[in-house]
Amino acid sequence: MADSQPVKDAFSEFYGTNHRWLRAWLFRRLQCPHDAADLAQDTFLRVMRVPQPVVIEEPRAFLATVARRLLSNLFRRRALEKAYLEELANFIDACAPSEEELVLVHEALVQIDQLLHGLPLRVRHVFILSRLDGLPQPQIARQLGISIATVERDLRRAFLHCLSVAGA
Amino acid sequence: MSSQSPEQVLRDAVDWMLRLEHLPASDPMHHAFEQWYMHCAEHQAAWQRVNSVLETALADLQGLPGQVQLASRALRALPNPSRRHLLGKGLALLLLGAGSVSVLNRLAPVADLLADARTATGERKTLQLADGSRLSLNARSAADIRFDAQQRRVVLRAGDLQVQVEPDRARPLIVATAHGEVRAMGTRFMVRQESQRCLVSVQQHSVLLSTPDGSARRVEAGQAFAFDRRGSVAVAPSMHTRDDWVRGRIEARDEPLGELVEALRPYYGGLLRISPQAAQVRVFGTFLVDDIKRTLASLGETLPIRVDSLGFWLTRIDVK
Repeated sequence: MADSQPVKDAFSEFYGTNHRWLRAWLFRRLQCPHDAADLAQDTFLRVMRVPQPVVIEEPRAFLATVARRLLSNLFRRRALEKAYLEELANFIDACAPSEEELVLVHEALVQIDQLLHGLPLRVRHVFILSRLDGLPQPQIARQLGISIATVERDLRRAFLHCLSVAGA
Repeated sequence: MSSQSPEQVLRDAVDWMLRLEHLPASDPMHHAFEQWYMHCAEHQAAWQRVNSVLETALADLQGLPGQVQLASRALRALPNPSRRHLLGKGLALLLLGAGSVSVLNRLAPVADLLADARTATGERKTLQLADGSRLSLNARSAADIRFDAQQRRVVLRAGDLQVQVEPDRARPLIVATAHGEVRAMGTRFMVRQESQRCLVSVQQHSVLLSTPDGSARRVEAGQAFAFDRRGSVAVAPSMHTRDDWVRGRIEARDEPLGELVEALRPYYGGLLRISPQAAQVRVFGTFLVDDIKRTLASLGETLPIRVDSLGFWLTRIDVK
């Protein structure tokens, strides 16, 4: 590739000029130097993977946009992880999963959460109670205090939402 | 061939799924479905797609007993992601988001947030009271201070306290708990509120312990008693009755690791879980509470146990 060297040079200049700034920006939001360094690295990796060597007009605003999205993912991931551990702690000790299993569970949680991203909270709950807990529709209706028709409508909406996310 | 749009076929497939799910096998609806399914390859492909929603995630969870239900609860405990949470200080709030009242309650009991004196996880405090007495609070503790012309009253709501009492013949100093009262007679003593009972231990002179059942007894220096609303019973000295925490230490003298972990809990911000086997391991030594992470790590180096930190919220201790 004829132009790969200039692209690399441009990137290392871009990196050199903005890396410290981005780390400081992330540190202000994370209050942890290691997380800030990791996320800064991730941000640059994302930017590097942008297919065309784009000319970035406002490099810091652009980095901040990418970093903000990664930050939001990280916090969501942690919130999920915490919610799960919280449930696990209330659960009997004998069933504590191994470390490897925990990784699987966290991945599954993130996957489901992302699939349901964008759905209203009630629709989300209806869908989870139906697909994960396997509750029949009348029971979900009772539990959430809504009509069976609403449960059915929510389930249909959630299914179509997941299908469109998965198909995209 | 189907004449319908692919979107419509998918909608139909979803409808079939919702309709069929909880029908008995004998229901004639199954026959109608079969006709729809057999009608064309598009219907079959759509049916496949609807059935594969969540497939991989669920397969991972279903391999592990009980995990699907836990995952369901965890997913329902979270609020929907919102951009609002991503700005500035809102981040901390997201980490302690909805469903976290129970966590908060463990870290700093919500009912005690309004107490006169309280300490957070990992924090200790010594207060000079109006009469010159000194009140030390262990981490995650709370007390109300009620002094008037007739009496000096400290209400322990949670955790441990120690009082170094300034003598005042006219006004006794009383530490009250949910399970009884300890009346000082010019002395140094400690009271600890546990979930089902309290402990009192005396470091100097003596105190009078009275419980709601009407009984009262004198507790002398070096002694410790457990008490609840129905009475009191002597207990052997242990790390829970000694006052080393006032100086930031816990001394274990051939005591179970489970007890040490209990004593360390108020200094650890996350969940600290210990297996029943590891809780039995005997421990001997002095442990500094203010660098809790290092203390926990050092346990793993000196005892036949494993200390794993998972995520940023859970530490597990188990036998090797």
